[in-house]
Amino acid sequence: MHKGLRVLVPLAAAALPVAFMAPAATADSGTSYQATLNPLNHSNGSGMATVTVHGDTANIHVSWSGLASTFGGNPYPHVQHIHIGARGTCPTMSADKNGDGVISTTEGGPAYGTIGTTLSVKGDTSPNAGTDIKIAPSGSSTDYHRMITLSSDTLDALRSGTGVIVVHGLDPATLSKKAQKEKSDLVPSLPLAATSPALCGALSAMPTGGVATGNGSTAGIEDAGLLGAGGALAAAGGVAVYALRRRRATQA
Amino acid sequence: MTGPRARGGNRRRLLSWLAALVALVGVLLIVVAVAAQQDAPPPPRSVGTIDPQATTSSAPGVPSPSGTASPPSIRVGPATTHPLGPSRPVQLSIPAIGVDTDLVKLGLAADGTLAVPQPGPDLDKAAWFENSPTPGQPGPSIIEGHVDSTEGPSVFFKLGALRPGDRIHVRRADHSRLTFTVNAVRDYAKAQFPTRLVYGGDRLGTPELRLITCSDFDQTIHHHIGNEIVFAHLTSVRNRAS
Repeated sequence: MHKGLRVLVPLAAAALPVAFMAPAATADSGTSYQATLNPLNHSNGSGMATVTVHGDTANIHVSWSGLASTFGGNPYPHVQHIHIGARGTCPTMSADKNGDGVISTTEGGPAYGTIGTTLSVKGDTSPNAGTDIKIAPSGSSTDYHRMITLSSDTLDALRSGTGVIVVHGLDPATLSKKAQKEKSDLVPSLPLAATSPALCGALSAMPTGGVATGNGSTAGIEDAGLLGAGGALAAAGGVAVYALRRRRATQA
Repeated sequence: MTGPRARGGNRRRLLSWLAALVALVGVLLIVVAVAAQQDAPPPPRSVGTIDPQATTSSAPGVPSPSGTASPPSIRVGPATTHPLGPSRPVQLSIPAIGVDTDLVKLGLAADGTLAVPQPGPDLDKAAWFENSPTPGQPGPSIIEGHVDSTEGPSVFFKLGALRPGDRIHVRRADHSRLTFTVNAVRDYAKAQFPTRLVYGGDRLGTPELRLITCSDFDQTIHHHIGNEIVFAHLTSVRNRAS
């Protein structure tokens, strides 16, 4: 940009808020949410989830890998849910109230809340199916797609930004000796590792509309005024020189 | 009689010189304006395929962090690449278009749009969207930058010149150095921005990268009406230790 146009900078800056109010419309119908699934309790896994809501129906896609693969010789069941009704965040190690080195599902509650929807592979998706390992995805990785009718509680949580996806089931070998002997806080017949959270990701709405990453300072002709003035002066001067020379020539 | 005539001749000569001077100043102004004229960003165009496995199916698999190559990619099923855990991206370089920038972190604006770097020291830095995965984690990691700003060309000015096969390097806070390879470049009208494709998509298990900037400046409304998006996928990981 030419230095002479520096005076225009404040004007352009004043126009920026207008530029940011780009239309929020998108080509997609429905509202989409995303969650990055980060490891909890040193699970080493990672994943991502998207939820697209039309009315009360949600198209749910959850993908993760790097979790415990077997449990007693069988594929390790990893129950997964949309938790609701709390802060809408994932717990930090400070949530480990009993100091056993593991954030249990209960200890994580103040951060992510209770089960709103169970992301089972088939059948019941209500909180009642929350610990049903027979309909949970299993193994070290999954690529989960399911259409689910969401309860109004879960829908409200999504809208208010308090929905959290939690995937459970730790490799017992990664737990402290003390924690390896503990029973699950949810299902006393299971070890603590089986039901403790392994991945957690807060659901947030995907950004709406386009992205306001430019102001057009490099588009079109920048110094149009300067160009115009220059052209006018050059033309006027040229015409004058020509006229004066003609007059002198006639007089001579 | 010679007196007035000579005076008239002098006056005419002075006028000629003045006129010539005016013309010269005009020409100089034109030269200055042309010299200050900013090149426009590369025109948007669509190249490549958005599904990286359609272009790299015959290429060797992504090396794992330990340096051994995984089997060649397959098109369906669970992730075949080796996603990393989370670590904040701190630096981005794209040799093909001369980009070398620190990365800042941005979230959603109050109106639900993606917040963009604001006037100040970070205006011409690229920004990682904090609700997206960190680069190397499964799913599409989002990095945005301005095409231009009040200061002129910005960090992603030449983004539209990227082509499939170009490399993008990201350094993370854990000192790992990741290389992504461009598989597609697309231009979308903001009014039809494909939100789900850009921030989600079908391959949530695959570490991918999307770079976003503005395109298609509309002279009548003085506003960019398009977004240029570069789609890239993870092709190598180098850890500090290895």
